[in-house]
Amino acid sequence: MSRRAMLWCAAGLLVAILYPLLFGGPSLIARSNYAINVAFLILFAAFLGQSWNIAGGYAGQTSFGHVVFFGTGAYVSTILHVSHGWNPWLAWPVAIASGGLVGAIIGVLSFRAGLRGSYFALITLAFAEVFRIVANSIPQTRGGLGILIKADQRPENFQFRDPMWFYYLALVLCVIGLAIAWWLTRSRFGARLAAIRENEDAAMALGIDVFREKVRVLALSGAMCAAGGTVYAQKYLYLDPSIAFGVEKSVEMLLVSMIGGAGTIFGPLIGSGVLHLVGEITRDLGNVVPGIKNAQPLALIVYGLILVVIVAYLPDGLTGLLRRRR
Amino acid sequence: MARKQSRFGVSRRSFVGGAGALSVGLAGFPAILGAQAKAVKVGLIHPVTGFVAYNGQQSRLGATMAIEDVNKAGGVKSMGGAKLEALLGDSQSKVEVGVSEVEKMNEAGASAFIGCFQSPVGIAATQAAAKYNTPFLIDVGASDQLVRRGLKNVFRLKPGFGKCVDDGIAALGAINKGAGSPAKSAVIVHESGEFGTGTAKLLAGKLPSIGIEAKELIPHDNPTRSFDNIALRIRSMAPDIVMMSNYGNEYMLLARTLFQQKVELKGMFSVLGGGFNYKFVKDMPDVSQFMMDTNHWFNPRSEASQALKKRVEAGGALFTFEVYLSYTNVMLLADALERAQSADKEKLIAALAASTFKAELMPYGPTKFVDGQNEGGLPAVMQSLKGEIEVISPEQFASAKAVFPRPKFT
Repeated sequence: MSRRAMLWCAAGLLVAILYPLLFGGPSLIARSNYAINVAFLILFAAFLGQSWNIAGGYAGQTSFGHVVFFGTGAYVSTILHVSHGWNPWLAWPVAIASGGLVGAIIGVLSFRAGLRGSYFALITLAFAEVFRIVANSIPQTRGGLGILIKADQRPENFQFRDPMWFYYLALVLCVIGLAIAWWLTRSRFGARLAAIRENEDAAMALGIDVFREKVRVLALSGAMCAAGGTVYAQKYLYLDPSIAFGVEKSVEMLLVSMIGGAGTIFGPLIGSGVLHLVGEITRDLGNVVPGIKNAQPLALIVYGLILVVIVAYLPDGLTGLLRRRR
Repeated sequence: MARKQSRFGVSRRSFVGGAGALSVGLAGFPAILGAQAKAVKVGLIHPVTGFVAYNGQQSRLGATMAIEDVNKAGGVKSMGGAKLEALLGDSQSKVEVGVSEVEKMNEAGASAFIGCFQSPVGIAATQAAAKYNTPFLIDVGASDQLVRRGLKNVFRLKPGFGKCVDDGIAALGAINKGAGSPAKSAVIVHESGEFGTGTAKLLAGKLPSIGIEAKELIPHDNPTRSFDNIALRIRSMAPDIVMMSNYGNEYMLLARTLFQQKVELKGMFSVLGGGFNYKFVKDMPDVSQFMMDTNHWFNPRSEASQALKKRVEAGGALFTFEVYLSYTNVMLLADALERAQSADKEKLIAALAASTFKAELMPYGPTKFVDGQNEGGLPAVMQSLKGEIEVISPEQFASAKAVFPRPKFT
């Protein structure tokens, strides 16, 4: 990373750290929990997108069912907390390890069977569906009734009264995600993943243990995503199979990476920022279009059109556009 | 004596008079300004886009009509005629968007919220509102978890699925007994979310008490595009009754599939059947004929409900349960504001908790909130008969007698 890029990163981080002090807590400008909430959603989706990016962008293992790791993390920590009385902070590492384990198991099963490309993408989708159906059926998850986490807003209980702390948590996760992505661009492991992404057979011919590397990256990606699952459960305090394993989350992870630029360090963060800001603006647009009583569907059309334009004209995502302009 | 005129043609007397009138006017102006009470902002959070968009739009319609009516009637009189102002929000059926709307509306100055149709969104959104101690009225939302968490700011006027199941089972038991107990078994088809699963489990637990065995519980996803396999499974199990608990589209599709495949049943009975409404009954009179549903329903004997029904239908919309439930919740809020004489959240919550509001449109007794749940709420049991929806229970509101068992297809 160049000196200039490092300066930009430091400035960005400083702004992110100061942001809640401007809009929340002992506010200097105007307290806005809404602004903090939107920023949380951007950082949180960026972190989940980064977990997808590690496997899908850097290693080329496109997954349509990454939500399986998110749901695993969410359910493991929630069940340990609600049914077994664990402190959620202690349950969190177990949830992360579970996500990693599920990633490794899915990787072993899929890659041992030689599944690649679209076949691998579809099998991940199938795994997510299987997990959703299982969560719908077993008593530990309370099936479709879902699990309600008791509201007890104390930091030692992994619940915060001030949304600023969830924002900072998402910021820390996001920075860790960026650091992992940066490390992949510098490490031998990352180089091996790039080789696998570009040409798996050639990578094998070079002596890379493709199977082992792919399982490792999926475990890493799964562990990251599971960490996000626990944060989600602790923030919203309710979990059901559709929330935990619903396909929308997988699509969102994939979308933020594709829009921002898959296989790039900042792609998911940029994609998440654009996606959420466009979403927030168009949602409000629905209430201000004159002469139309219910313009909310129109807002979704505008949202969809913007996404189509980005995907159609920017195949490398927004980071690709920035690179081209340079 | 000639009056002394100024250069501008204004006499001293008229100048003094004019100045006096102006000063009185200026002195009075702030008083008039002060009399214009500040509007009370009400956050309406419904899923107006997404897979239950129709239901959300119906809720918004009912709530905005009620706000118009309150304002036309002079606003909240004890607050100097303060008007209600709607803040419109779309949850998009997503938990995080519902919470985001609460945060946004809180900053826009919402004094109360009404929503959210889906229980998971309602659970998260009410918790977010609890941080600000803002009252949250659940207009539609079946889960009993909504009101069992000790949150002082949450109020639900309508009965939850526990009460609906109890009353529905009691009515079904009476109807079956009255017909000589022809029904001995049932299959329950339900959507796999919190609402459908919770209702189905309660139904399965209560059915034996009226001499009916629950043969199987069949969950399905949202959305489901085909019920062919489920209909075949039902046919192979040959139950006497099919019970349904699901959202609108799936409800209608399942009913149509069972009709098309001519699955012989003694009856179809639902609790909170999302699709049992005028649209279904008018569009598919053959399919809906003899189907029964326990649900929220307006009091057919109330003049106010009939007048509102006419207004809604004159506007080209259907008078579905979302419309009158949301309408009634705005009226409940207006009543609480009237008694609280303030939009102060603490006072408003106290006024809601002590409410004895009479829901004019609904077949309810006086409101009495216990832990946020109105104990005076009552569901009705309806049956589709010849393209009309008739109330068959409770008896004091009934407009027809139940037809059970239904005639065979052959």
